[in-house]
Amino acid sequence: MPDPIHQFDIHTIIPIKLFGWDVSFTNSSLYMVLAVLLIAGFYMVSMRARSLVPTRIQSVAEISHEFVAGMLRDSAGHSGMKYFPFVFSLFMFIFAANMLGMIPGAFTVTSHIVVTAALAALVFFTVLVVGFAKNGLHFLKLFVPEGVPILILPLVVAIEVISFLSRPISHSVRLFANMLAGHITLKVFGGFVVMLLGAGSYSILAPLPLAFAVALTALEFLVAFLQAYVFTMLTCMYLNDALHPGH
Amino acid sequence: MSDPADKRGRRQGEMSPEELAAFQARVSDLDSKLDKVREQRHGRDSDQDAEMRGRGMAYGMRMATELVSAVIVGGLIGYALDWWLGTKPWLFLLFFVLGFAAGVLNVLRAYERMQKEFMAKTGGRIGHSVPDDED
Repeated sequence: MPDPIHQFDIHTIIPIKLFGWDVSFTNSSLYMVLAVLLIAGFYMVSMRARSLVPTRIQSVAEISHEFVAGMLRDSAGHSGMKYFPFVFSLFMFIFAANMLGMIPGAFTVTSHIVVTAALAALVFFTVLVVGFAKNGLHFLKLFVPEGVPILILPLVVAIEVISFLSRPISHSVRLFANMLAGHITLKVFGGFVVMLLGAGSYSILAPLPLAFAVALTALEFLVAFLQAYVFTMLTCMYLNDALHPGH
Repeated sequence: MSDPADKRGRRQGEMSPEELAAFQARVSDLDSKLDKVREQRHGRDSDQDAEMRGRGMAYGMRMATELVSAVIVGGLIGYALDWWLGTKPWLFLLFFVLGFAAGVLNVLRAYERMQKEFMAKTGGRIGHSVPDDED
């Protein structure tokens, strides 16, 4: 049976050593670069005409812009729009990486927790920096809910702090686990088809897992979009906490 | 939300209030007609159902990670404090429980947000539309 984990192997394409660190260009880096090039290329081509009545490709670009802008405006308000470039880049990068991963034989960047953890840490520290820069020590009010008796306040503050610190973990694990699990499931069902085909008279059963794999592929496309959406949505909410810690 | 859009429309002289009302009536009429057609066409099971299932899975996954990650963070903090202060295993136990409480808090908050999101999307109209006195 084909190894379902093999698709997540990292291998070096161009070995690079920098100050004793291994910063080689790997297949993961390649797909990240591909995702960025794809996004940049798409927007350059689609927005070239800049017509008032958009062409089909231009309207796709505009819809994606409106989608993320609406998400950010709804959850962080107008003051949150300053961080639109950050949020939009995050969404497009994760979405493009997830979709590139759906191409058979391609590598899925977001199925590695290093990548998603780095993205979540970026959001986490952005929230911290923005929160303290905008509100100063007032930002700490995020951990002190109003109307709590002084006796149990230390307990509540401890719980709130733990809740805050758990954000980057759930933020990164969700994206990573969804992509990893989905791709392993697809591979396993593909493996079942191959195994059944080689099992003599049982090969009449082979279409069964094949049908399942087809259905799962459709579901995976949905998950690829949904997880990019959920990641961005949570980023918006965390930014909202940084901008308006009072409530 | 609807108020500023309304004002902008009038300022540009695109629609008077009567026209707007007529337009809205037409839209809601069209909506209910579309609902009827959709119902006839594919009843309950359809790609909408599949999408809802995908969404449900994403939500379930989200709840699970919200709970577990807080427990892990609480446990780690307790363990680190124990290691630092030499109070094994008491702070670990305390922070493990606090982590669980934080996890439940996370889940409750996530649920609240989902509910709000869902209400905003459907406007509280969960089932199909039924004609009443206002129609």
